Amino acid sequence: MKKVGISAAFAVLLVLGSMAPRVARQLRADQPTKPEMKLKVLDMAPDFKMQYFDGHDLKDVTLSEYRGKKNVVLAFYIFAFTGG
Amino acid sequence: MKAFQQNLQKLEAADTQVLGVSMDSPFANKAFADQIGVTFPLLSDWGGETTHKYGIYMDKFQAARRVNFLIGKDGKILEEQLDSAAIDPSKIVDACQRQTLKR
Repeated sequence: MKKVGISAAFAVLLVLGSMAPRVARQLRADQPTKPEMKLKVLDMAPDFKMQYFDGHDLKDVTLSEYRGKKNVVLAFYIFAFTGG
Repeated sequence: MKAFQQNLQKLEAADTQVLGVSMDSPFANKAFADQIGVTFPLLSDWGGETTHKYGIYMDKFQAARRVNFLIGKDGKILEEQLDSAAIDPSKIVDACQRQTLKR
């Protein structure tokens, strides 16, 4: 009886073991992959024209106005009134 | 954005203009800037043209991904920080200070 129990347990382990790679693949597939960046370091940054409100007027800002003058940090955030 | 505000003096000293960008309206952005005490411009990419051009539009949120680009004076991208890594600006501050030292 004891012997049967052991072989049964062994069989279950074998079956589980053979499933593991498939389960692992499935789990990996479910993870959202981070999208590749279209623009890479050392690519030219595309010019843009956007506006902001300074409290009185809408002001235009272009990337090209900083060319040769300043570095620019463009910090994209998801929505106003969120953290980060 | 607050973290950039805290480092604004260092960044300005290193010849760097900080610009926040989102797809909110200019007026929502102004209210947001006032609320969190940000003094640099928060640009409105109303319609998402720039977000698409930079390849970081996320369908799921119908908004931009959280990304920082550091763009040099020659117009080339010098650094990219993505998602949670984009919250700490110290790498960008270091990179700007290195740019200043190079000259």
